[in-house]
Amino acid sequence: MQDNVIDQSKDITILELLDRVLNKGVILTGDLVISVADIDLIYLGVKLMLSSVETMEQLKAGKSRKKEYEEADI
Amino acid sequence: MSENKILFCTGPIDEITEEIGKFNSKEESKLTLGPKNADSGLAKLVLTLVELIRKLVEKQAMRRVDGGTLTEDEIERLGETLMNLELKMEELKKYFNLTDRDLNINLGPLGDLM
Amino acid sequence: MKKLIYSIVSEDSNQEKLNCILPEMKGIAGAKLISVSYKQISAVVSELEKSDYIVDQSNALEYAGVIEKLADQFTLLPMRYGSLLDSTESIMQLLERNYPEFRQNLLKVEHKCEFGLKIFGDLQKLKAELTFEFEPVIANSTIPSTEIKNPVYLEYLNKKLKEHRFEESLLAYIDSVIAELTVCLTRFNAVSKFRKMTTAALVTDAVFLLDESKKAQLIQAIEDIQDQYPSLNFILTGPWPPYSFVDVTLK
Repeated sequence: MQDNVIDQSKDITILELLDRVLNKGVILTGDLVISVADIDLIYLGVKLMLSSVETMEQLKAGKSRKKEYEEADI
Repeated sequence: MSENKILFCTGPIDEITEEIGKFNSKEESKLTLGPKNADSGLAKLVLTLVELIRKLVEKQAMRRVDGGTLTEDEIERLGETLMNLELKMEELKKYFNLTDRDLNINLGPLGDLM
Repeated sequence: MKKLIYSIVSEDSNQEKLNCILPEMKGIAGAKLISVSYKQISAVVSELEKSDYIVDQSNALEYAGVIEKLADQFTLLPMRYGSLLDSTESIMQLLERNYPEFRQNLLKVEHKCEFGLKIFGDLQKLKAELTFEFEPVIANSTIPSTEIKNPVYLEYLNKKLKEHRFEESLLAYIDSVIAELTVCLTRFNAVSKFRKMTTAALVTDAVFLLDESKKAQLIQAIEDIQDQYPSLNFILTGPWPPYSFVDVTLK
């Protein structure tokens, strides 16, 4: 049972190390190769496209309230 | 080679090993389109994208509902549309014989899609 | 024949040391390691036949092992496995063109190491812990039943809304753990990077860059924070060479 834990600790160490040496560190090629599997770029694109209508509504509401205050001051 | 690098760990170590392994091994879940699996590969790709968009739209819709600026009628219509979208998605999945797991392609650094 | 770069080493006061250590080490496929220097930095390189360049676990680990051994003695920037150039001239060009950025990064990581913290959440436990008063979207009593077209839609929406609110509260919960960690890390003058919800169970994926002498204190601090979050599992690893903190856009 103890051995199992030791083995898995080694496993985690190896996994962590592999993640670093394969996915991090200085890369020579800066541009991303867009292969079919790299859909995450599209994902980001889609996310950016979805503007928060809610925020816009609130901004609009905030703007009109400001106008009210300004008018009241006069 | 290197000694054990774990400094502190709580929780079931075997589950943790499995989780970490999950997002390291991109091989099995990589989407490859080739002459052999063009059909099912394409369906998987398309449905994953559709499901992604559906989930994003759903998320955005919920934020609006929570925001309290919709009328009751709009809320009901939203519910109807979202529900129908989800049902349609289920139909498509069944038609192409794909499960949720199949569509959950690991997209690299962004981790699990949904 | 390609050149495989393992890391960019700061030579500052260790000019001779590098040339003493390299002959005692071996690179991938048993190749010898040499240094290519430009002013105060050196690239540690080995020759590699294209056929010997295989992206598999054992080679990647061997490559990482070289970096690890060098990191014990030198301040360095680890390269990603697969950093191949054609010739010594191209390596020199690389060092020359990016000299200021390399120097800057080397300065940033001097005497520091990277530590990784992954936080896992048991979703079931979290659902229980983060229970909240759930108000249905529209209380059915406020609309006369003749006006509701189909209660099924409202039911569906209520279900979705509940899930959505749970997700929001989960994110807020994660934000509070991260805030806690951030405060703690300022004590150590650490640089940190956080990623939230990488997978459903991996609630937070963080890396910290701090002074190697602060290791024991870091462990204690993380333990203390973990005590406050019994529904979460923490795993702290390190010390690592600064893989996650090399912000270089190469020219």
